[in-house]
This record gives sequence, structure tokens and C-alpha cells, in this order.
Amino acid sequence: MAFHNGSILLAAPAGGDYEKVEGRDRETIECQRACEAVAADKTASDYDHIVWAYGVIWALFCVYGIMLWRRSERLSADVATLTRKLERMS
Amino acid sequence: MGRKLPLALFAIGAGTFPYCVQRVFLATPIERQMGTVQKIFYFHVPLAWIMMLLGVVCGVAAALQLRRGSRTAEAVAISAAEVLLVAGLGVLITGPIWGHATWGKAWTWDARQVSTGLLWLIFAAYVLVRHYGGVGSERLAAALAIFGAIDVPIIYYAVKIWKTTHPDNNVVGSLPPEMWASLWPCLGALVAMSMGLLLIRTRHEKTEMMLDDGWVQIEDLARESADKDKS
Repeated sequence: MAFHNGSILLAAPAGGDYEKVEGRDRETIECQRACEAVAADKTASDYDHIVWAYGVIWALFCVYGIMLWRRSERLSADVATLTRKLERMS
Repeated sequence: MGRKLPLALFAIGAGTFPYCVQRVFLATPIERQMGTVQKIFYFHVPLAWIMMLLGVVCGVAAALQLRRGSRTAEAVAISAAEVLLVAGLGVLITGPIWGHATWGKAWTWDARQVSTGLLWLIFAAYVLVRHYGGVGSERLAAALAIFGAIDVPIIYYAVKIWKTTHPDNNVVGSLPPEMWASLWPCLGALVAMSMGLLLIRTRHEKTEMMLDDGWVQIEDLARESADKDKS
């Protein structure tokens, strides 16, 4: 995009001709672009926060699930040991 | 049924989760004031509700344990406290992430944040006492759980009693229907997951209690037979 005499010229393909955009001055466009940049930064920051928040929640549940699974394995081994001991005693 | 119910609950949670993501990120409009980051709400708030529910469950179960000596109630209390710690950690991490983006500050020391942090610490203390406490510490731990359950209504009414950065409780009731339509499946998925974990942990605790009894009986039998051999 280029500015020329207060009107906006959109970059054209290789030919070098520009299409003139009527009705908007340079300041308006710059202001709009600045607002869009702020909104884009906010959205990018929001996405980071969301990824962290959702990641933490599901990581916590997964870690606790793994802890329970390991406890389950340990209890099964303990039950097996107790059963063997009972069999030896009887 | 006992073994299948937790698996069924996990299946419900896992099956609902993709629908939740689709609803939250594609079907629900972006909130005008907070922007995209408001989408943390759909998991943060249900987790907070689950945490408070588990606090009450743990307190009631601990009271039953003290009054009737019920071992099932004891197992439920221990399990509820542990799952509460997981849900509570989720609330205490996602809340400041959301606060950082919305209020510009992760932790504002408002009454709801402090009372929620306190609830988590009380039940962390309960779990530690249960884990490392000696003989008789289960009664002290049960009293701690009942004390912790009293904090639940304080969390709920904190925004009414004190001036807080958290919004009023009515904000959830005033949500537009499309946001409610996203909140329900998220709540359902998290409740299913939490209840599945609670059931498994309760079964572990009861198995552990039975194992303890079994080992004590074996020791007694071994001692008796040794005494017989001597005489």
C-alpha cells in the first residue's frame, strides 16, 4: 500500500499501476491500522492466556489420573502379596 | 457396576470435551468487554463450583466419620479432599491467568481470592495430616475438614459482604443463552471427570483400609502361632 497526495493507492501487481481508494484520508487509515494492531496484540495475548489456562487444567487432571493409576498398581501388588502370605499360612 | 461407573464417567467427560471446545471457541460469541480471554470462564467457574461442592462433601463425610465411625465416610472424605486439591489448584491458577489479562494484575487479594486460597490451604493441611499424622490424627483431620467446609459459604458470599474485584454472583445468572449453552457441557465434562476420580480414589482408600486390616490380622495370627510353638 502507498499514500499519494492524501489518497490511498493500493499496491498493484507487477504492472506498477495503483488503484485509487476514494473517501478515506491517510490519518483515518493510520488510525484504523493502529486500532487494528492494538486489537491484534490483545487477541494474541488472550490466546496465550487461554492456552496456558486450558493446558494447566487438563495437565492437572492427567497428572492426578497417572498418580491414581500408579497407586492402583501398588495396591494390586500389595493385595497379591497379602494373598500369597495367607495361602502360605493356611 | 463399581468398576464400570468411573470408566463411564471418564468416557462422558472425554466425549463431551471436544463438543465443549467447539461450543466455547466456535459457537459462543466473544464477550464485548473482556474479549477472547473471557473464554477461560467456561472452565474456571465450573471448577470453582466443583471445588466448593467437594469441600461440602468432605466436611459432611468427616462429620459422619466422627459421629458414626463410618469407614466409607472416612474414605469419601479423604478422596473428596484430594480431588478438591486438584480442582482448587485449577481454579487458583486459571483465575490469576484470567485476572492478569483482564484486571492487569494476577492477584488482587480480594476477599473471594483469599477465601478460595484459604479453602485450598485448609484441605491441603487435612490431606497432610491424614498422610503423615500418627494414631488418632484422623479425628483432628476430620475437625479440620468440617472447619474447611464452613469456608464454602464465605467464598460464595465474599462478593456480597466485601468490596471485591470479582463480579457479583448474579453475573452468571445474567449470561445470555448462548453462553449458558456452552457453560453446561463444560460443567458436565468436569463434573464427570471429577466424580470418576473421586470414585476411583474412594475405592483405593477402602482397599487400603482393608489391606491394613489384613496385614494386622496376619501379624496377629503369626504371633499366636509363634506363642503356641513356644508353649
